[in-house]
Amino acid sequence: MRKMFKKLSFLLAAVMMMITVFQIPVMAAPAEDMTIIYAQVPQDWEAPCIWAWDEDGNNAFAAWPGGSMEADADNEGWYYAWIPSWANHVIINGNEGDVQTGEQVLEGKNAWITVASPEEVTISYEQQTTGEIPEYVETFTVHAKVADSWSEPNLWAWSVPDGTNVYEAWPGEPMTMGEDGWYTMEVPTWVNSLIVNANGGEVQTEDLSVDAAEVWITVAEDGSFEFTYDDPEQKEIGTIMVRVIAPSDWEAPNLWAWSAPDGTNVFTTWPGEPLEEGLDGWLKKEVPGWVNSLIVNGNEGSVQTTDISVEAGKDVWLVVKGPEEAEVYYEEPQIEQETEEAKSEKAETEKPAEEKSDMTMVWVIIVIVVAAAVIAGVVVIKKKKK
Amino acid sequence: MKKILAVLLCMGLTAGMLSGCGKSGQQDSKTDAATITIWHDKEDEVAQVLQEELEKLEPEVHVVLEKKSDLTEALKVVGNDPNAAPDMYFFAHDKIGVYAEMGILAPITDIIPEEELNRYMDMTLEAATYKGEIYQLPIYYETLLFLYNRLYMSEEDVPKTTEELYAYMQEKTKGGHYGFVEQHSTPYYAAGWIHGFGGYLINEDGEPGLNSPETIQALEYHKKFVDLMPGETEYATVNTLFNEGKAHATIAGPWLIPTVKASGMDVGVASMPVIDETGAPVSPYTGVQGIQVLKYAAENKSEAVEKILRQLMEPDIGVKLAQASGCAPANEACYEMEAVTGDEVVMAMKETAENAVPMPNIPEMDVMWTVAGNLLTDVNMSGKDVTESANEAQKEAEQLIESMK
Repeated sequence: MRKMFKKLSFLLAAVMMMITVFQIPVMAAPAEDMTIIYAQVPQDWEAPCIWAWDEDGNNAFAAWPGGSMEADADNEGWYYAWIPSWANHVIINGNEGDVQTGEQVLEGKNAWITVASPEEVTISYEQQTTGEIPEYVETFTVHAKVADSWSEPNLWAWSVPDGTNVYEAWPGEPMTMGEDGWYTMEVPTWVNSLIVNANGGEVQTEDLSVDAAEVWITVAEDGSFEFTYDDPEQKEIGTIMVRVIAPSDWEAPNLWAWSAPDGTNVFTTWPGEPLEEGLDGWLKKEVPGWVNSLIVNGNEGSVQTTDISVEAGKDVWLVVKGPEEAEVYYEEPQIEQETEEAKSEKAETEKPAEEKSDMTMVWVIIVIVVAAAVIAGVVVIKKKKK
Repeated sequence: MKKILAVLLCMGLTAGMLSGCGKSGQQDSKTDAATITIWHDKEDEVAQVLQEELEKLEPEVHVVLEKKSDLTEALKVVGNDPNAAPDMYFFAHDKIGVYAEMGILAPITDIIPEEELNRYMDMTLEAATYKGEIYQLPIYYETLLFLYNRLYMSEEDVPKTTEELYAYMQEKTKGGHYGFVEQHSTPYYAAGWIHGFGGYLINEDGEPGLNSPETIQALEYHKKFVDLMPGETEYATVNTLFNEGKAHATIAGPWLIPTVKASGMDVGVASMPVIDETGAPVSPYTGVQGIQVLKYAAENKSEAVEKILRQLMEPDIGVKLAQASGCAPANEACYEMEAVTGDEVVMAMKETAENAVPMPNIPEMDVMWTVAGNLLTDVNMSGKDVTESANEAQKEAEQLIESMK
């Protein structure tokens, strides 16, 4: 039973992490402001990774299970990774995120984390390894999808024009296969030239000149290739449904949708297109899956939300409470929606209160007038008596 | 009854007196020759430097620095009313013509002899001059800069000429990244290319130059660069592309630099590329920020106004503004000081400003922004014939200017 509970809690934690991944933006960090995290993990934790974030929900990595930790050749059993100093909440995980620690809160400086089990974690800020701490090297990710006949692809990377190579010898280092069919590899940001090869270097692409930015390369059997800096998986997205609850005083709400930063708009003119009434109480509108920015507006565009960033390719539920207040959900939230009946009932109960309020005001005025008349009468009478 | 009436009367009188007191107090500060109200629209860093500098004049002169977001429109409405208008205002030079024509501005030379203004860069004095009179004491200027992301573009890669820039764009614009982006269809940005060919949007006589051979040549040449940039050229889009590392270089104002630095970019600043066809660099507009004096204050508070102007003529303020907000000082003396010469951004602005063109300060310029913007959209985004579009735009601009008379 205890085991089952543990499994369930880990499952829940993993689900929570996935939700976090999809809801929270990833922040870039200046290269000079990095912290090294060492971890020693149980022997059955393969390929350990680190997931890191801050209290405001900014993630250091784009997707769970986070950044790969590198084995320290000089300190057996220790792995390390660099994370931005602001990311002081971490989880160490292994086996592609199947096993993990709980949330560890760090002091924002170099740390040595010993993981005896998921529950038994100790953190030291005193160096637990021997030798110099490795120098931080900023990297970017190279993704490659190769033809079926290309087995065990490698990456060869260097810098033009100085000719500095990342790896000691051809054919370079093997790329890591991901579940999505893409092989990946991190390379230093001084790299501007790549070759993807396979079959022990027997087949290869020509030289690729690239920017030091995350890149996706698709290689055909004959070695010809295409590459993009935009995640091609995202491009395969069809449409998404945007569901909205807007403030009741926003008449005829519209949706304005676009893609940032390229600025491609879905609709030609502001304020966009009307949201349609859904049977479930939500207003809705279907838009292309590449949309990642929305504005809900009403009263012919005279009231509106600020820009709302959303995850591309996912149906989204927006609960708009005002121009500055919009909640974003990727699953239907449990919102108590007022039915028409409830609304009319509420209106009925509220109406007398308003009338009562108006009447109270009238009575107050009458009382004041009468009191003034009485006082005036008394004064006059007194004066007459005198 | 009489007593009640008396009480009510007393209350009314008291309230009246109290409100009257407030009003009379306000009028006093407006007419007090030692109190000067200055309107401005500047960021906090700049306002703070001005405030600290002008506080040195206390208690002889008391300066009230008031931020007005709608400064230009407010001046149009109240500029002639000494009770509501400020005594001076701190703003860019390009509205001088409008206010001079309204008759609300006094030439600076009514207070400071012209020979004392020789210490200012010629370009800034040229910007401050309207119909032969200098209406602004220049403090600093801003111009667009060539910015590049050092992660992608090394110093050696920075294009010296527009053809080098084009070759770089051809090589690097792929996979969703751009070699170079700019707000190509916004007149303020496109003007740099037009000036580099000897063209202009409007000349100092108020004549539009949208269909001059030089402007047409510039539009035709610029088109091939536009073809390698995104179609959408809004301010936010272009800046986001650069800030997020999707563009290697851009032409933007110095105000973008703090933003990209905050996101971790190692940003470089370089001179504008030279246009191969003409041998002149891309020459953007420059805006000169400075102080203007309203006629009423010049006539009735000249002593206090002069003290303020002289305080602002100290080179020290230019240095402080450069340090606080990267402003390029208008006072030549500042460029003999390490604090200014050591600032990469300020010095890049000075270099660019040597070829930059002061934004026209004539009222007719107001109509040009829209007409030129439409022309750029027709040529760059709708693919219309350059000469035909330029002729139509020129005709429209001339009609609009004629209707202003």
